[in-house]
Amino acid sequence: MTQIIRTPVKPGDLDHLSIGTQISLQGTLYTARDAVLPKIVALIQRNALHELPVPLNGMALLHSAFSPAGFGPTSSNKEEIESTMGTLSEAGVRIHMGKGRISDETVAAISKQGSIFIVVPPVSALLHSKLLSKRVAAFAEEGMEALHELVVDGIPGIVAAAQGESIFNQARARGLRS
Amino acid sequence: MSITLSQIQKAAEEALIQASCGFRPDQKAAYQRAIAAEQEPGTQGMLKMMLENAEISEQNTLALCDDTGIPHVTVDIGEDADIEGSLGKLLPAVAAGIKDGLRALPGRPMAVKGDDLERLAQSAGLHADSGLLEPAPIRIKSVQGNQVTVHVLMNGGGPEIRSKTFRIFHHHDANHVFHEIANWAIEVVELLGCTPCVPAIGIGRTHYEATNLMLDAMTYRDFGDETEAEKLITDKLNASFTGSLGVGGTVTALQTFIKVGPQRASGVRIATLRMGCSIDPRRGSVTLGPARPETASEQAEERSAHASNP
Repeated sequence: MTQIIRTPVKPGDLDHLSIGTQISLQGTLYTARDAVLPKIVALIQRNALHELPVPLNGMALLHSAFSPAGFGPTSSNKEEIESTMGTLSEAGVRIHMGKGRISDETVAAISKQGSIFIVVPPVSALLHSKLLSKRVAAFAEEGMEALHELVVDGIPGIVAAAQGESIFNQARARGLRS
Repeated sequence: MSITLSQIQKAAEEALIQASCGFRPDQKAAYQRAIAAEQEPGTQGMLKMMLENAEISEQNTLALCDDTGIPHVTVDIGEDADIEGSLGKLLPAVAAGIKDGLRALPGRPMAVKGDDLERLAQSAGLHADSGLLEPAPIRIKSVQGNQVTVHVLMNGGGPEIRSKTFRIFHHHDANHVFHEIANWAIEVVELLGCTPCVPAIGIGRTHYEATNLMLDAMTYRDFGDETEAEKLITDKLNASFTGSLGVGGTVTALQTFIKVGPQRASGVRIATLRMGCSIDPRRGSVTLGPARPETASEQAEERSAHASNP
């Protein structure tokens, strides 16, 4: 059964979600990727998160660009993306959305803060049909890689990491790899 | 009647749009088979969503994926094709058609500005005009007949991160080569994210040749029958239980495409593995001139029967 997630999430909202749960996300989410995520981490590290014009607390962040060609998940395991997930969770991001296996260390780091990772299918035409509004929220100089704020009505996904568990490890345990 | 340069330009534009929006019939059939084969309900739901995405994309001429890819163009020119004007104008006409297609789609505006160092560091920003994305070097093939076909592949960035061109010591055993490539694929399939994957493989004498053969495998093959070697790689990936999006499932690879070229007298083979994603090969083909063959595999059959430039 598909679980609806509404953002921003409050403490406890994600506690019932385990890996493998299908979700549908409603509300606000941000898109950001390689260019912008390290800049947000830099703000956090110099205690200047107030300079970011949008709140991170309880929010969902999709690893994606936003362009006239639409939006959709990019590989979350790229260095400049995955390395930011722990710090962003500490700063309040509760839902990381993207694609591809993430490491056990990252799963532990986000889980420690009660955050989760959701894989989103690469279905840009379908995702576009769920878009209600969009605007550039920060780092406009990055063009399509700027931080965009989207309001969406039902972005689909599967919970891939939650409460220290990884769906990628679960799949690996069931497969033959030699 | 001559094939005009403006027809060639339009064919390139149409092939690009065709490649970027919707699935070909053989691709839809491959997805139907995968949905029937997938035993994990949640994962099967994701496969259905990918097929639905292709339908929405086709109906609304919306890009299948927001990474609209780098155009890789092959032009098959019939030996007896009657092309208007100077042959020197052919490549500019194709390039102009690609630009038109990128603007019409629209493609993701991802051409990187600046000099060599600025482009490497992506420090001077991006061009806002989708049409400024340069296609990869255009390939020209001579085929028998009097037609011209423009094939456009739109190659996304995810597979490029997971792909590899490297040498394999063959040990005088063809299967050893295929097992080695299967191991490369297994190493990266979980990281790809956009599974089910569609590995495309070229095996030749040099790195250039192997990559070129890999592009042949993507350009001229349809989903359907697999050779024994292709099945070996597909089965090995499916046994990994990586599944769609890496969330676990019985279908990890839709199909494998392999093209083997001439080989060197040596203990070494050079192989390219493109770890294609769930919408690969993202391909459109438009044929100009009389008596067009219907499908890419028929075109490939005709090519291999008559090719003068293997």
